[in-house]
Amino acid sequence: MIAALIFYMFAGLAVASGVMVIASRNPVHSVLFLILTFFNAAGLFLLLGAEFLAMVLVVVYVGAVAVLFLFVVMMLDINFVKLKEGVLQYLPTGAVIGLILLVELAVMFGGWTFAPDVEALVMAPAPTADQVSNTDALGRLLYTTYAYLFQASGVILLVAMIGTIMLTLRRRPGVRKQKIADQIARTGKDSVEIRKVPSGGGI
Amino acid sequence: MSETFDLIPVLPELFLVLAAMALLMAGVFRKDEGFGSTTSLAIMAMVAAAVLVWAVGGDERQTTFGGMFVMDSFAVFAKLMVLVGSALTAAMSVSFLEREKLGRFEYPILILFATVGMMMMISANDFIALYLGLELQSLSLYVLAAYNRDSVRATEAGLKYFVLGSLASGMLLYGVSLVYGFSGSTSFEVLPRIFGGDHPAAPHLGFIAGLVFIIAGLAFKISAVPFHMWTPDVYEGAPTPVTSFFAVAPKIAALVLFTRVMVGPFGDLVDQWRQVITFIAILSMFVGAFAAIVQTNIKRLMAYSSIGHVGFVLVGLAAGTADGVQGVLVYLAIYLFMNVGTFAVILCMRSKGRMVEGIDDLAGLSRTHPLMALTMAALMFSMAGIPPLAGFWGKFYVFKAAVDAGLFTLAIIGVLTSVVSAFYYLRIIKIMYFDEAIEPFERVSGRAMGMVMALSTAVVLLFTFLPGPLLTSAKAAASVLFPQ
Amino acid sequence: MLYVAAIFLPLLGSIVAGLFGRFIGDRGAQVVTCLLLGISAVCGAVIFKQVAIDHNTVTIPLMTWIQSGTMDVGWALKFDTLTAVMVVVVTWVSFMVHVYSVGYMSHDPSVPRFMSYLSLFTFAMLMLVTADNLVQLFFGWEGVGVASYLLIGFWYEKPSASAAAIKAFIVNRVGDFGFALGIFGIYFLFDSVTFDAIFAAAPGKVGATVSFFGIEWDALTICCLLLFVGAMGKSAQLGLHTWLPDAMEGPTPVSALIHAATMVTAGVFMVARMSPLFEFSDTALMVVTLVGAATAFFAATVGCVQNDIKRIIAYSTCSQLGYMFFAIGVSAYQAAIFHLMTHAFFKALLFLGAGSVIHAMSDEQDIRRMGGIWKHVKVTWALMWIGSLALAGIPFFAGYYSKDTILEAAFAAHSNVGLLAYALGVGAAFLTAFYSWRLLILTFHGKPRADEHVMAHVHESPAVMILPLMVLAAGALFSGWLGYDMFVGHDQQQFWGASILNIDAHKTMENLHHIPGWVAILPTVVAVSGIVLAYILYAVAPSIPAMLARSFNGVYLFLLNKWYFDELYDYLFVKPAFKLGRGFWQGGDGALIDGVGPDGVAAATREIARKVGRLQSGFLYHYAFAMLIGVAAFVTWYMFNAR
Repeated sequence: MIAALIFYMFAGLAVASGVMVIASRNPVHSVLFLILTFFNAAGLFLLLGAEFLAMVLVVVYVGAVAVLFLFVVMMLDINFVKLKEGVLQYLPTGAVIGLILLVELAVMFGGWTFAPDVEALVMAPAPTADQVSNTDALGRLLYTTYAYLFQASGVILLVAMIGTIMLTLRRRPGVRKQKIADQIARTGKDSVEIRKVPSGGGI
Repeated sequence: MSETFDLIPVLPELFLVLAAMALLMAGVFRKDEGFGSTTSLAIMAMVAAAVLVWAVGGDERQTTFGGMFVMDSFAVFAKLMVLVGSALTAAMSVSFLEREKLGRFEYPILILFATVGMMMMISANDFIALYLGLELQSLSLYVLAAYNRDSVRATEAGLKYFVLGSLASGMLLYGVSLVYGFSGSTSFEVLPRIFGGDHPAAPHLGFIAGLVFIIAGLAFKISAVPFHMWTPDVYEGAPTPVTSFFAVAPKIAALVLFTRVMVGPFGDLVDQWRQVITFIAILSMFVGAFAAIVQTNIKRLMAYSSIGHVGFVLVGLAAGTADGVQGVLVYLAIYLFMNVGTFAVILCMRSKGRMVEGIDDLAGLSRTHPLMALTMAALMFSMAGIPPLAGFWGKFYVFKAAVDAGLFTLAIIGVLTSVVSAFYYLRIIKIMYFDEAIEPFERVSGRAMGMVMALSTAVVLLFTFLPGPLLTSAKAAASVLFPQ
Repeated sequence: MLYVAAIFLPLLGSIVAGLFGRFIGDRGAQVVTCLLLGISAVCGAVIFKQVAIDHNTVTIPLMTWIQSGTMDVGWALKFDTLTAVMVVVVTWVSFMVHVYSVGYMSHDPSVPRFMSYLSLFTFAMLMLVTADNLVQLFFGWEGVGVASYLLIGFWYEKPSASAAAIKAFIVNRVGDFGFALGIFGIYFLFDSVTFDAIFAAAPGKVGATVSFFGIEWDALTICCLLLFVGAMGKSAQLGLHTWLPDAMEGPTPVSALIHAATMVTAGVFMVARMSPLFEFSDTALMVVTLVGAATAFFAATVGCVQNDIKRIIAYSTCSQLGYMFFAIGVSAYQAAIFHLMTHAFFKALLFLGAGSVIHAMSDEQDIRRMGGIWKHVKVTWALMWIGSLALAGIPFFAGYYSKDTILEAAFAAHSNVGLLAYALGVGAAFLTAFYSWRLLILTFHGKPRADEHVMAHVHESPAVMILPLMVLAAGALFSGWLGYDMFVGHDQQQFWGASILNIDAHKTMENLHHIPGWVAILPTVVAVSGIVLAYILYAVAPSIPAMLARSFNGVYLFLLNKWYFDELYDYLFVKPAFKLGRGFWQGGDGALIDGVGPDGVAAATREIARKVGRLQSGFLYHYAFAMLIGVAAFVTWYMFNAR
């Protein structure tokens, strides 16, 4: 009972803050609502007993991604009001389409059935929580059965990294970078020269 | 707990990834840009990978990684097409990018990663594997679309592609989750068991909706109507070599993947998905034929042309038979060469030191560059499906399959739209041969260009006389998907 | 390897001369094509030795061409005696013509193109004769057609040459249509297009019928007749012959190679190749006999009054082809092919000799403006005499053996049609001798009728033109004597092997050795009398022909205008076709179809295109929205239609 209540609270809040992400006028507010959505989603994960995923969601998405968004939004001087001007005129049509889809999905889920023998088809049944911890179970699957997918994800991340660097890194001539090793390696002899200055004369 | 996986079937992919990483390291640590040499090495790597594909893929179907990765003759056929397409387009882009001062070593590396992604898509035997392959490919393509980062158009193209691509991926994932929710599995091996066999289950409506979402996600990747809107903008905005790459290998990979998903896990639901595919095919052929007529930019024209071609390929898929799949493969192979050749010509369109893209700029090409005009004319005739050129046979096999499957309306619409589309292909020929030259193009064709043009023209012209090898291997490849 | 080389070297030469003619120059193109063809000719001789003399029939499969259902067409080279004979004739005559062309075309601005076309033709012809199935044969058939078109229209600046090329192409199209239908019919009947399969199954199909327009037709007869229509087109038989004289617009070496020695005999070859089919259809054979005999006679009559030196020889060709066909019609395929071979030599000789004369006379072709030049061109004169003697069938020249055999065979067939053919053939032989000597006398003897300017320039052709003529003259002298025993004499059974079929009911080839003596002598007698008549009319009393023409004006005009075939066709087909075309164009196409169709559809198309184009707004959310609408629409569709 209480679990159900909490579920609906998290779910409702997630949907509501999701709406606010696109509805609010101030982009900073949008990002804050996004963070709230993430928190609610993490709550839902917790209810499912997936505490590891919940924590990762908070750490990665809230702690890193959303905060990065926040900085970017604050740094860029974009007139979001103007950007959203046209949106309202499509709202009615959009709403109708959305509503239709919603009703259809509701009808579908209303009469949801599972395939016969669905139990037998499940690929890699997770071990129960009292045997191994959540993290342990995930790890066992990821590094064995799903090793291929895990490696593929790694390649995707590599491509993402290459892409960002390629699209943004500029080597401007004349930019001075800190070279720590050089700095440390410098000795007094290299940088300081002692000159006798005769009084009354220049160097 | 520990299992070991057979790595032989993934050898080509493995090799390509390692090659890409090695090239990446080499590129980062060397002083100069090293664009040309990296590209040459990348092309060699692709050729080597093609050889590996050939060596690894036997007649026997092999799976590995717990059945997530499959290597059969269907995959071999498709991978060879993809590798050839990627290698040819990469070879064509070198001189262009160097002239435009856009040569950077990341370019061939991204192409390599995209190619790996395509090969993973082709061999995917599980929805998660499919998704990851698709994302690897798409992510590389997003970056490539925005490759010319100083150009507003290119950046816009990259961004549009990225946002819409993410939306499509979202749809695909949603569809997969619905399917998983019904069946408890994402494996292509397991799904057919639910609806086939002795006790076929009735597909639940939710499952069908999942199927629709999956189709939508994949249709975006092959730019089928109504999920095609990104195509013209991206084709026009991206640098031309990138466009030529987009038009060939990813299209082929996505269509092959589409085919595998439809006739594999959903093979027994052919009556269900055929309706959507038919509809998408008709719309694509229609838009491809009509929207192209008013275009003035040749790259946009090629975008609509490829949309139209996708429609024709989907006609073959809609048939849902081994003949249909054979038609799809044959069509794709021919499409590969036609498009590569056409883009080779487009890449040679330069006057006054810069790239021109207007269709009218081709005026009088027959007098200034007779050989190029001849190549282009042959390719355009082929694209329009004029017998006895190769393009005609591509259309012939898909329409024949559709008719054999009883889809008369679809075949008739296909023939009619191909007549309409002949209009703009022939218009190009008319402009080349009968209009007065305004400004002759510079002579820029490098050796690679000439070779690509010659190769594609030869394929287009000679297919009629030697269709045997392609037809037989396509037939063998298609039959794998229909186990008796 | 040797076999394949013989066929494909000419193609190689054609490609080299055609594509790289600009780089290797005129001389290079000549050397390359002649050299490759020379090798090919040597290979051809070896093939003849191995296949025809040593009886090693071979089939060399090259690759698969079409595979669809039961339709299985391959590229393969089939060499049996029939093919070997053709190969040796084609390669050697072609080689001679190539060499001759080096001299003849030396002043032409586009030599490489010419040499390339010639080699291309040779390749196509070789493909034709080595085909092992009907579709491949059709490929070669059309290939020679194209090459013929290109070569007739070689001087495309001349309107008459272009018109002649188009005429040849279109008239051949009529024949090819029949041929194609014949192939369809055979595939329908036999479920195969491969010769071996067809021939093996042919006896079993005797009496098979097809129903058409409610009438039962004999299937084999229909197929054979359709194939024969194709042969008629290619071999210029009566009805479809009109293109051949016009084809003389092409350069003379072309006339010699294509329109005398090789291509026009393709029809004869094809029917001989299909002998296992024709043998089972008496009706078809009868039609072949009648058409052949009529052509032989008709063309000979027309040849008597023509004035253009090349046209006379062209009609002569037409007439000789008629001989070959009626030989086939009476089941004497061997005799037909024998005559084909000898004819190739002496007719090529005549044409090339005529070319030499034209060359000497500063491109004059009208024999009324020649005469008396024999002193200046003695070699050519002698060679023309040899050719004419062979053509007229004077004993111990090549034509004597083959033509007499044909006439004897016609008589030996012991049928009414055969006798009719014999009668017409003897008549034609008389006329042949007559017009040959008319040509010789008017061209070489008597008083010069050309102006002094031309006469001053009359000169013997260079050695490169004369040498091929010598080779051909040797053929015209000895090929009949050498080949008689093998082709039609007592060695024939062994020589031909399985390549030609004579069923037991048709024993013409045996019977022709047992006929009354006068039958065999009569042709020679009439030939000599034809020569005598020509001598009287044109050398002794040159006024008589003019008087004859005046008094029998109707007959003369009838003959001069080639029996009004061109006019008839013009009236029957060309004019109505033009009228019909104009009607369709202005009424149907312009008003109806363009108005409603292209123009209307085009306008609508542009309108739709503009609307579709407008969807492409460039806004990201429009695009995303379109995708969502699409998905929603599909899901909705299934909500109502899935169950």
